[in-house]
Amino acid sequence: MKAKKGKVSVMTGNYAAANAARLCRPEVVSAYPITPQSEVAEQISAYVANGELDAEIVEVEGENSAMNVVCAASLAGARVFTATSSYGLVFMYDTLLQTAGYRAPVVMVNVNREPPGIQAVSGGQQDLISTRDSGWVQVIVENNQEIIDQIIMAYRLAEDHDIQLPVMVNYDGYYLSYLAESVEMPLIEDVDAFLAPLKSQPPRPRIIPGAATGCGTHGMEMGYVEARYKHWSALERAREKVDDIDRLFGEYFGRSYGGQIEEYRTDGADIIIVTSGSAAGTTRTVVDAKRNEGVRVGMVKIRLFRPFPEDRLTEVLKGRKAIGVVDRSLCFGWKCGPMCMEIKALTPDIGRMPILSYIDGLANLDITVPHITRVVDEVNGAAQGKPFQEVTWIPMEE
Amino acid sequence: MVVKHKNIFKTEGTWSDARKLLLKLDTGSWRTERPVLDREKCNYCGLCALYCPPQCLLDRGDRYEPNLDFCKGCGICAKECPRGAFGMVPEGEFIDEG
Repeated sequence: MKAKKGKVSVMTGNYAAANAARLCRPEVVSAYPITPQSEVAEQISAYVANGELDAEIVEVEGENSAMNVVCAASLAGARVFTATSSYGLVFMYDTLLQTAGYRAPVVMVNVNREPPGIQAVSGGQQDLISTRDSGWVQVIVENNQEIIDQIIMAYRLAEDHDIQLPVMVNYDGYYLSYLAESVEMPLIEDVDAFLAPLKSQPPRPRIIPGAATGCGTHGMEMGYVEARYKHWSALERAREKVDDIDRLFGEYFGRSYGGQIEEYRTDGADIIIVTSGSAAGTTRTVVDAKRNEGVRVGMVKIRLFRPFPEDRLTEVLKGRKAIGVVDRSLCFGWKCGPMCMEIKALTPDIGRMPILSYIDGLANLDITVPHITRVVDEVNGAAQGKPFQEVTWIPMEE
Repeated sequence: MVVKHKNIFKTEGTWSDARKLLLKLDTGSWRTERPVLDREKCNYCGLCALYCPPQCLLDRGDRYEPNLDFCKGCGICAKECPRGAFGMVPEGEFIDEG
């Protein structure tokens, strides 16, 4: 069975996210507006106001409460949605950890923006990196169509009985949030059909008035260890589940994204450029140009950041001659970018090779074609035994 | 990895029947003093049971008495009792009882 062709129209990433959330029929939504996410919260409110979405909107005074509301509603059995960015994400940090610990299948959009430190109202993935160990499933998408499709897949993953984890869908603020692109919006009945298998799964425990049920109140000693082990194991299981759901989505809607990672022209590649988010589009363009020049280069786009796609990456990176990793964020106290650090951690499995770290695209600075061209040239040089610089802050050298 | 641990929770999350497992922690071991009831003063009003944080005051039909497996010895029952029926006695005085 296949989904019908959806309506094709031009919309911003934020509008696409709100629209996709609407198609998944969340029953409770609580989101506090913050640049560059505000349009998502506004649109959801508009859908409820004009009757396009039958959901309870809980108005709150900040993101910490927003996450508490959707966590509690989720524990009561509702399907929930929220969206945030940057300061909002870190303001809900404690409830973020709690939501994951309670195994509440919340789906949240995080529109990547530089977090506090310096008052930066600009794009970057540092907010995501700051919540790396929160226990959430974290996915990074590249374009507006992928925002829509990934939000739908996120519900299928979060509410899966084997997983029961909150899922954070990340997309680049400014680059995608306000960028209007042509997208195909699935029909709501097809989204219903795609999410229907969740209804045949065993019911989740939930809060029912009158029945004395407790959740999360007794994590001491072995209770704590057991809960952590189950949580950790669920994240381990999520990797394969992401691949499965992506495949099923592809079979039904005709679009798929490679699951945990997307590989682009990696066949026969000597060198691989690893990146994520909207920078992958630029990288793809450079890979094509360099392939025409005879450089054997491929790209890997990291879609699933947590759990980290260790096995899939090992498979694709093993036996190459050099790797370049482009990070849109920093790892304070470690000498390379965060994703580069994680790729380096695969060394026992992929073998020793030059791994070059690039920091670029902080604070809305563009990751340009010349930047990625430079990366490819340097990584290619390293593959041929030329000396190389381990870490490069591209904008600082311009 | 071989897991020898027997699960406490039947569910993925830490869900449990709050009438039983909510009190499964050995909070009684935290206590440095315990409430001791003067039955002459108690008129079975129930205020102590209402205020008890871990809800461990047992209804004995004519009085309330702490379940010492869970009573943390916080003293709120003694503080709230309008008739001063609970006295807080250091645990050291009960050492012989084990």
